[in-house]
Amino acid sequence: MKALLIEIRREFWEHRALWMAPLAIAVALLLAAAAFGHFRLDIHDEQALQHGNTLPHLYEFALLGGAVPFYLAAAILSSAYLLDCLYAERRDRSILFWRSMPVPDARAVLVKLLVGLVIVPLGAYALAAGTSVLASAILVLRNHALVNAVGAMPWNGLAWLRMQGVMLYGLVAALLWYAPFAAYLMLISVWARRSPYAWAFIPPVLLVILEHLEFGTNYVGRVLNGGFSELMHLAFRFDVPGAVVSAGAAASPDGPINVQLSGGAELPGLTPLHLLASPRLLGGLLAAALMIAAAIRLRRFRDDG
Amino acid sequence: MMATNTESKQITQAGPIIEARDLSKRYGGFVALDRVSFGLRAGRIVGLIGRNGAGKTTALKAILGLTSYEGSVRVFGLDPARDRNALMRDVCYIADAAVLPRWLRVDHAIDYVAGVHPRFDRKRAEAVLATTNIRRHSRIGQLSKGMITQLHLTLILAINARLLVLDEPTLGLDLIYRRQFYDTLLSDYFDQERTILLTTHQVEEVENLLTDVLFIDRGRVVLDATVDALAGRFVQLNVAADKIDAARELQPFHVRTLFGKTIMLFENRPAESFAGLGEVRTPGIADLFEAKIQAATP
Repeated sequence: MKALLIEIRREFWEHRALWMAPLAIAVALLLAAAAFGHFRLDIHDEQALQHGNTLPHLYEFALLGGAVPFYLAAAILSSAYLLDCLYAERRDRSILFWRSMPVPDARAVLVKLLVGLVIVPLGAYALAAGTSVLASAILVLRNHALVNAVGAMPWNGLAWLRMQGVMLYGLVAALLWYAPFAAYLMLISVWARRSPYAWAFIPPVLLVILEHLEFGTNYVGRVLNGGFSELMHLAFRFDVPGAVVSAGAAASPDGPINVQLSGGAELPGLTPLHLLASPRLLGGLLAAALMIAAAIRLRRFRDDG
Repeated sequence: MMATNTESKQITQAGPIIEARDLSKRYGGFVALDRVSFGLRAGRIVGLIGRNGAGKTTALKAILGLTSYEGSVRVFGLDPARDRNALMRDVCYIADAAVLPRWLRVDHAIDYVAGVHPRFDRKRAEAVLATTNIRRHSRIGQLSKGMITQLHLTLILAINARLLVLDEPTLGLDLIYRRQFYDTLLSDYFDQERTILLTTHQVEEVENLLTDVLFIDRGRVVLDATVDALAGRFVQLNVAADKIDAARELQPFHVRTLFGKTIMLFENRPAESFAGLGEVRTPGIADLFEAKIQAATP
């Protein structure tokens, strides 16, 4: 366990952006909350306002909106990290030092996968959750919440917990769904002699173009698309009564954030069994396992001498 | 230590720590190692000496399980290709100083090795580091090459390993650092239980260190002997000007002329054969290396 922890720490020593960038986002959001934390709700739909759950749901969407920058950053950082981690150690020849230690290649590769696929996204999730609590506290302290007679903003513990649960579930679903993409990036990282970014992205794009020109079809494109909407429909159920019609937020020129809601708002239902039974998810996980096994083997036996 | 190329000679010493038999490695059409066999015993300092591309590093990689190969290699009875992780608890390896990552901080390097290596003595490493000018919070990229070497050596020597493998460890270092490196190696690391296997181009600097030599050329072992045995096996004859023809009749394996003097090297000739032919000496390892490599070149 001690060895595993130090190997994980090693990754964050080398790739400092993995923790610095999400932290910078958290600080920026908290500073924004402190500086512009005048939260005003303009609810135009009287029916929606009378709906007892409207404000907690609105709060949940505000939480989601606040978490998006963290998840976007985690996606970008993780992708860049996974594509670089096994290439960088060969580029600077430090692999000769790492491999002089009694660390199995399988463990070295799996630790990097763990960091890129699990720890960074979960860290972003935890940071987003922590930031939302602190931001809410700042808003409460500033006493600027104008709530239109319903005192549920800007903090609602139950709504917060519910949204964290949904986001955690969505995150785990996304980790499983995008595991083959992560494994592909690692395979390119360990295989490419130079320019892993070019190797990772140019051949698939060329393949899509060639397929389109040659056959007029787009099967490869659809596979490579990542299927975010497919993931959403496998992992969630959106046909719950009163599901969200529309919600939006905009910063007004004088600082306060105006949130506008039309219609009702309801979180989607969770369908984990539907997701786990998906042939595409299972096939993707199998492909990920094969690519990771190939990456381990390449690191183990690659001899650039 | 013994070695042969095509004929695998039986290793008779008890418990060789490294045993290679018919070790071969090809990179495409290039033969890096050609059915090499040798054995190493504990408590020796062995110089694996050869020109660029002779197969030294490939042999080390095979011993360390860092490359695939044909033939058989056993290190402490383990197969390096299969049991590399277990092996690396008993083996330390320095390729060259430049392999320490530049982004790593000195204190983090110590933390890392302490975390992953069960035989790392952190107190010892920190005590040695305290005697240097290396600051604990410096990044390796901020250190001079000599300091990086000091740090690498500090990390490695604090590991209680039984075999230390050094591949051109002083490449790029100035004379002072090279001498410091080998002095530290001898005083702080080497004992009768430990073995050092090193490759180098700078034969002159290590010849007083070595207990055994293994000359390798174009993937084949051309000499494998203990340094003590060299005196009985090889003779350098600085031939008197009027005795050159007589000396040639003794079939030297290498002849060269230096400042007008003819120098001949002989192998396995009784000392009395050279009576009256000139000055008889034991050749240095560097001279012997040059002679054996040239003699092996068609």
